[in-house]
Amino acid sequence: MVDPLEKAVDGEEAPRQRFLLDDTGFDEVPPKYRRFYRKWKGPGDVLAPNEAICPVCKVVIRSTRELREGDRVYCMPCMSRLVIVRAEDGGLEARVAY
Amino acid sequence: MAAGTSPDVHSLDPEAFLEEVHSFEFWFQSVQGYLAGTQFGHRPDVHGAPLAPAERERLVSTLCNYCVGETAALEGASGLIAIAPNRLTKVFLATQVVDEGRHLEVLLRRLAELGVTDPEAEIERRASRSIVHFKRRLLELVASRDWEAAIFAQNVILEAMEFTVFQSHARDADMVTREVLQGIIKDERRHIGFGENELGRRIQASPHIRARLGEVKKELDHLVLETFEETLRELGVPASDRPELGRHYLETVARLGFA
Repeated sequence: MVDPLEKAVDGEEAPRQRFLLDDTGFDEVPPKYRRFYRKWKGPGDVLAPNEAICPVCKVVIRSTRELREGDRVYCMPCMSRLVIVRAEDGGLEARVAY
Repeated sequence: MAAGTSPDVHSLDPEAFLEEVHSFEFWFQSVQGYLAGTQFGHRPDVHGAPLAPAERERLVSTLCNYCVGETAALEGASGLIAIAPNRLTKVFLATQVVDEGRHLEVLLRRLAELGVTDPEAEIERRASRSIVHFKRRLLELVASRDWEAAIFAQNVILEAMEFTVFQSHARDADMVTREVLQGIIKDERRHIGFGENELGRRIQASPHIRARLGEVKKELDHLVLETFEETLRELGVPASDRPELGRHYLETVARLGFA
């Protein structure tokens, strides 16, 4: 079965990049979930295409696939459900979905 | 579990996610990650360098204010369990009570390490009036069984500001105090997230409660802000860094719809 999120639509959308997540030493969630999070290292830090910063607690959320508008991600350290949206600057950002 | 074989957290059903993160099992496995091997909140082989008398005085006063905040949250969270609307929130608050009790204990221990022999008397003598007043009002809200107002005061106003102040303080603190605060900050992430999400869901379902919470905000947030601004000033945090305290809090309340 083809994941509809990965399928190119009329050639306009490239397939999503996939990412292997390693443990970055983040220790605030149970071991089985640790690879999905890392610490934000401050202003010099750069988010990868599969990462978003949690607006509530400022932890970096990681996904196994490139993030796109409309994706749902969870921030376990602060128990928030988030949706990826297009920000005013054109980039992607996570917004809390209550 | 090897990387790549663990479940994808982002594919969890929203209900399953909420069930997981509110559980005692989740809490237990989370705190094990950063508290295992510590004693009173820091690694046993970490020792603080002796502090100059003036520096020690400032730190003791600061820790006394933190103790009032943590006692407020300990008493508040434990009282809120009785009026929590469902099992998930009751269980989560039980974990918060444990966190707050631990925070109070490690801060009192730090005061003892700094030579304070009667911490209760020292707290009574040094704590700012603003934070003491805030504690009294928070406990009145709990006693009046006002779930939304009490969660707003405790998990949004108090916890959001503590989260920022402890981060600022930890950056320049002695090694022992830093490790103690870093452990507390990791707990606070859960508390601030719980407060914002619980209230966010309630405001979405019943927008009229926003006006009432706006009154609570107007009455109480300046009390905590005053205390922690004073704390940061005493700790020597540059004025240019202090607006960070207000900014994080304002971002939080803005997401909940408060201008």
